[in-house]
Amino acid sequence: MEKVITGNYAVSYGAKLARAQVIAAYPITPQTSIIEKLASFCADGELDAVFIKVESEHSAMAACIGASAAGARAFTATSGQGLLLMHEMLHWAAGGRHPIVMGAVNRGIAPGWSVWTEQSDTLAQRDTGWIQYYCESNQEVLDTVIQAFKVAETVYLPAMVVLDAFVLSHTSEAVDIPDQELVDRYLPPFRPKWKLDVDDPHAFGALVTPGEWFELRYKIQQAMNEALEVARQADAEYGRIFGRQWGLVESYRMEGAEVALVTSSTITSTARQVVDEVREEGLPVGLVKVRLFRPFPVPDLVQALQGVKKVAVLDRNLTFGQCGVFGEELQAALYNTPLRPPLFDFVLGLGGRDVTPETIRQVIRHTLEHDAPEEPIIWVGVKR
Amino acid sequence: MPKHEAKVIVFRSAAEMPPMPASVATTLYNKTGSWRYIRPVYRERTPPCNEACPAGEDIVAYLGLVADGRFREAWEVLRRENPLPGVCGRVCPHPCETQCNRERLGGAIAIHHVERFLSDWAAEQGLTPPPQRPTRRERIAVVGSGPAGLSCAYHLAGKGYPVTIFEADPLPGGMLRTGIPAYRLPRHVLDREIAAIEALGVEIRTGMRLGGNLSWDDLSSYAAVFLALGQPLSRKLDIPGEEAQGVLHGLSFLRRLNLGERVEIGRRVAVIGGGNTAMDAARVARRLGAEVTVVYRRSRAEMPAIAEEVQEAEEEGVHFHFLAAPVEVLVQDGRVSGLRCLRMRLGEPDASGRRRPEPIPGSDFTLEVDTVIPALGQEADFSALPEDIRRERGAVAIELTGATTRPGVYAGGDLATGFGTVTAAIGSGKRAAIAIDRTLRGEALPEFPALSHNMRVAPRPVSPEVVAFEELNLAYLRPIPRPAERLRPVPERLGDFGEVNPGLDTETVVAEGQRCFSCGTCNRCDNCLIFCPDVSIRRRGDWTNAYPTYPYFEVDYDYCKGCGICASECPRRAITMEEELLWRK
Repeated sequence: MEKVITGNYAVSYGAKLARAQVIAAYPITPQTSIIEKLASFCADGELDAVFIKVESEHSAMAACIGASAAGARAFTATSGQGLLLMHEMLHWAAGGRHPIVMGAVNRGIAPGWSVWTEQSDTLAQRDTGWIQYYCESNQEVLDTVIQAFKVAETVYLPAMVVLDAFVLSHTSEAVDIPDQELVDRYLPPFRPKWKLDVDDPHAFGALVTPGEWFELRYKIQQAMNEALEVARQADAEYGRIFGRQWGLVESYRMEGAEVALVTSSTITSTARQVVDEVREEGLPVGLVKVRLFRPFPVPDLVQALQGVKKVAVLDRNLTFGQCGVFGEELQAALYNTPLRPPLFDFVLGLGGRDVTPETIRQVIRHTLEHDAPEEPIIWVGVKR
Repeated sequence: MPKHEAKVIVFRSAAEMPPMPASVATTLYNKTGSWRYIRPVYRERTPPCNEACPAGEDIVAYLGLVADGRFREAWEVLRRENPLPGVCGRVCPHPCETQCNRERLGGAIAIHHVERFLSDWAAEQGLTPPPQRPTRRERIAVVGSGPAGLSCAYHLAGKGYPVTIFEADPLPGGMLRTGIPAYRLPRHVLDREIAAIEALGVEIRTGMRLGGNLSWDDLSSYAAVFLALGQPLSRKLDIPGEEAQGVLHGLSFLRRLNLGERVEIGRRVAVIGGGNTAMDAARVARRLGAEVTVVYRRSRAEMPAIAEEVQEAEEEGVHFHFLAAPVEVLVQDGRVSGLRCLRMRLGEPDASGRRRPEPIPGSDFTLEVDTVIPALGQEADFSALPEDIRRERGAVAIELTGATTRPGVYAGGDLATGFGTVTAAIGSGKRAAIAIDRTLRGEALPEFPALSHNMRVAPRPVSPEVVAFEELNLAYLRPIPRPAERLRPVPERLGDFGEVNPGLDTETVVAEGQRCFSCGTCNRCDNCLIFCPDVSIRRRGDWTNAYPTYPYFEVDYDYCKGCGICASECPRRAITMEEELLWRK
């Protein structure tokens, strides 16, 4: 069934179709309508879940961890400051191997206050052990929430499904809502191997000495490595059942491309349009969209970028003192491969500033005009 | 506790380990209680109702039992401290409710209704306490069978003493019988509660007046004497015309009627005064068919009468003339023909803290009445007391134990306390009973609490610190309204002396018990048990319903880390956190 819904409602429908059993969340702009919708699903009996109202995001994640530890499928959603307040618990969720799924709406971090989109809030959580997906469309958001549960519960790591504030969260598109029956077939009930059980008591999250701690970290990394293949298969299986798949990394018009734009989230859609236009103009430009950020899909990226002469990374985020995060990660990924094209890192659209086709054209022009980047960051649109 | 040994587990590879930091053997050997520097302690505290009750009832305890529908135990807890719950539930001005923390979330618990319900319920069930066989040789004399005398006799009989009450009137009950009209206190309620005290073995000898047919010599053979003579004398008006036919003093008017005498009053009655006797006289006069005006020299706010009494009097058509004082009873042919009054205004506060009424010169007016009932207050009659019983400020001087200056003689009630409420009289009787018992057993008399401080025959270990509303955990307490009073319609009330307030039904009474916050008193809500993150709180295996109760839960101090969540999540402050250093000897 197709419905015209916002990106936020796409998150809500995804969590509903995934049959989340416990939802603990605290409202924050621009995430609020996600949990409002879920709350009304619960209230109306459309979703058989316990909706826990909490006093903070820290508590929201703590409640999800408790629910997940008890064997329930747990879901939450947040944004910006709320995500930052959750930070300690994000580590706890991953370290405790609780496959919680979260809808995270990108929002600039205060001060000054911003409610508009920027990836710095979620990217600041890249080291917490959470799987991270960045979505381009409302349909992709809904499908990814369902896939995220599948991947998370397979490798026992939590997963974030990230979407842009307002550009997706509050913008309506036609979205196909899959049949519950099909989703149930794709995503069976959560049956954890380890859980709180009075008949088989274990203490969870206790003190671990140097003799074992190292190995537990190693196992998280193993799980992350495993997640890459699991995510690929989960996407493929989704495609077989629902007729849609998104890839971990998507190549667009990369045949014969000499310049690759590397994008994520909604900037991708604008970039697709500009790539179409400049191809018409005869410029050898293609696009590589990064959908899965954690684990970072290095082999997929290496493959996608084979044969390009230059790479232009579009970063709607910034790690102060370095450059954009996608740019940084990609440079690190390519450093030990024979493929080391000049990599231009463009920082643009911070705090929700519009990234228009003209912005993308500026990026393309700059990349074509320079043999190599002259600065670690190429600022686009900043009033210097 | 079994001894838990630490087990050493060696993992040879990451693959052998669980995916997350989960224990694979017991962790109980790790006694994390050693990390604690403050400990939770179940230390019950005093609820404001218990603090306020002059009779020392354990209100919170019987409300808790009522909430569970355990009426019999509730009645036992109630009656253990107060032998006259049917009386108090009807006539006490219930200071417990004034202090109730529920007031701010829907209205105070209707404690007096619960109290009278339990008394009435027990009577319907035919419950009476078993007769008490005297176990003590010392005989005790109680003079006066009002609430103080009855209470003292009851508690002494409960402690095994043979007690004789001497009563001057032909029927026992004192002011309960002669002062309070039947529409507030039905006679069968009073009779059954007195009968239950007699059933314990207390002997009541009526028609025995101290200073008349009962002498101090007669009392000399008793090991102790409790004097509860009340305040039988009416204060005079001291204005011209007071001796005319048609002037009836409030107390004697009520007394004659209440003892069954036929009393003639006129068609238009002025009642003078603003206390409970004035309200009683006014409402009785209404029931006798008269038009009634109450003349009071201050304003409504200063009236000492119970507010409900004033309101009910008003509903029954009693007129009020505030800020007016009588200056002369007008007399024609020896009979009352009117009452000349002066208007007053309120000046500076006097010794009582109320603003002093001052006459407005030249403001005379006349009320056309044929009957005047002064009800200006009452006084003790010391004529039968020997000189060595000291008095001060119009009352017999007593220590906190109730002892007078004459050895072996105690006093209570209005004669000694001047408090003027039935419940305070009951408390003073209990206090003297406790003191007499301890003295006769040769036990030391520790510091006696004031009447309002939980004076119990059956004390519980409770901190005297009163729980304030602000201390309650309001996250768990929702507003629930107090049930409305259902009174008989006015025309029906005025037609007879039947009870005005029929009380609450069973369901409502149980709901009142459940509405109680149980301030400072564990009611086994399980919050601490649920919230303890260390699973260190458990229900006691040896807990029983027996009263006085003790905490239902216990803390496993081997593992409790002293986080304090139990104490902060306790809705009613029955848990305190205490410094560990205080516990380490």
